[in-house]
Amino acid sequence: MTALTAATPPAVVRHISPSRGLVLAMLRLHRTALLFWVGLVVVAAGALLWAMGPGADAAWAEYTDMGCDLSRPNLGCDFPGPANSRYETAVAVASGLVRLLPLLTGAWAGGALIARELENGTAQLAWTQSAGPARWLAAKLAVPALLLVTGTLTLTLLHRMLWSSDQALISVGWRAWHDDGIFEINGTIAAAQALAALALGVLVGLLLRRSLSALGVAVLALVSLVYVVGELRPHLWPVKTVVTGLDDATAGSDGMIAETGALTASGARVPIPSCSGEPGCEARIGITHYYADYHPASHFWPLQLMETGLLLAVAALATATAFVLLRRRTGAAV
Amino acid sequence: MTDTAIEAAGLGRRFGRRRAPALDGCAFRLPAGRVCALTGPNGAGKSTLLALAAGLLRPTEGTVTVLGTTPAAARERLAYVAQNKPLYPQLTIAGTLRLGRDLNPRRWDAQVAERIVAEGDLDPDTKIRALSGGQRTRVALALALGKRPELLLLDEPMADLDPLARHQLTATLMADAADHGTTVVMSSHVVAELEGSCDHLLLLGSGRVRLAGPLDDLLAAHTLITGRAGEALDPHTVVESRTTGRQLTALVRPEGHLGDGFQSDRPSLEEVVLAHLRSPDAPPLLLDAREAAV
Repeated sequence: MTALTAATPPAVVRHISPSRGLVLAMLRLHRTALLFWVGLVVVAAGALLWAMGPGADAAWAEYTDMGCDLSRPNLGCDFPGPANSRYETAVAVASGLVRLLPLLTGAWAGGALIARELENGTAQLAWTQSAGPARWLAAKLAVPALLLVTGTLTLTLLHRMLWSSDQALISVGWRAWHDDGIFEINGTIAAAQALAALALGVLVGLLLRRSLSALGVAVLALVSLVYVVGELRPHLWPVKTVVTGLDDATAGSDGMIAETGALTASGARVPIPSCSGEPGCEARIGITHYYADYHPASHFWPLQLMETGLLLAVAALATATAFVLLRRRTGAAV
Repeated sequence: MTDTAIEAAGLGRRFGRRRAPALDGCAFRLPAGRVCALTGPNGAGKSTLLALAAGLLRPTEGTVTVLGTTPAAARERLAYVAQNKPLYPQLTIAGTLRLGRDLNPRRWDAQVAERIVAEGDLDPDTKIRALSGGQRTRVALALALGKRPELLLLDEPMADLDPLARHQLTATLMADAADHGTTVVMSSHVVAELEGSCDHLLLLGSGRVRLAGPLDDLLAAHTLITGRAGEALDPHTVVESRTTGRQLTALVRPEGHLGDGFQSDRPSLEEVVLAHLRSPDAPPLLLDAREAAV
């Protein structure tokens, strides 16, 4: 009749804390995803390490054998040989995998991490254990976040090493510091993108509760986010402006261009006319100069940090919303 | 520690504005240590009530108090087994029990959980996805009992089990509950399944409490009478009456002495429950709601 007898201590296992238990459970439940992630990092890191070592040596040897390092015109040097192609491929595989990461993370977080559990009821199983819904969600965010950041930052460091060591090959490959993929992997943006993808995916999963629709919507949301942030990128830091005469329109071209246009005699900014290049075109329209708003390479870190901050703000907002949503649904304070 | 396992006051839950509420103004009190049958027709709100008590849903009206506190604060001391017995399909049985240990480090009793699995002749290395429905039920119950709950909420626990396993698991459950004073609430719409094992009844209909109280008191409050058609049944509360030819059969709640023209019988639980289900307009009888009234 009384529940007092239930207070007799059962054979209790005290050697793990609830949070540690949750982390262990997370790793065990999502072992496939963990192995996939480790595999992806190993492949990308391997490609970068190979490219930095034997890949670069072979490519450079081929380049010098072709006589391309000498400063005389040689048409063959525009088309790299097989060793150079292999080097290019290895670098492209690594940065391509990192560029895919936000989509993969979002799809997994929305579909497998959250919505599948809500769909088949295992979330309710987890929520009625001692840990409770809020700590369940915290573990679902924290464990993947830690692994994603660690892995992504490792790849970022390797790519930065490659970038600083193989400058000559980089100029052969026509790569520039502000190319989307290179800009992202060379700084903190890649890791921040992964975190934003995780948080958005989790939020979408909680909102939709169906794994297939959550997977689709999360991918859609991340494609949009990556696109929008990419469009915003040159506008996140004050630009430098260079004004050039009519016969030289190349200034600023080694930087990240935010905007280009033409100037009239009064200094007004007008679009580059469609007849640009034809004789007498500029004079007919009254254009005196061209200008370019651009970011020099020295703006790399300010741009990186601004965009990282933006992505982390998105991640924080999505995370907060997810916790509020879960709390409203389950009425749980703890 | 409290002597009340679940107490609901004006408890209501709506899913969407246009739909009828799943639960509406439920008030009842379940004393600790009882084995309570939660029954009612499909869609009566049984699962909703259990989910509210387990802290998985938030009431849209009223309150539910579990073990003297909110369901969220009582989470560590209650266990819940949902109707579809959700388990992680990719884990083995042993892995599932390890999950229970990891997620309930302060309460986990591995012996209890392992014994329940062993009684079903299950190999701990079998993956959950390879189990039959009844075997899953066994693992889900092992997970729930391994937590050493003070309150065990079971939603249709026996539906997937063969008669032998049902008998055996019910016995395990009842022995465990008796040994530890666990309060058990189990829902089912098979009334006969509940009669032998339960000592408390909660009958829901259309989201409202129809009957609530100790089983014996509820049965004692009802009388099955037969007499000639046309006899007046005042002042007794009539739950259901049927006239076949010249014979009247009725389930009543007697108010004082029954007339001499009637032959009276003690009804079975099934008769009481079915009479209430067939007569949705019969007044509710709450034998435990005294303290629960707001």
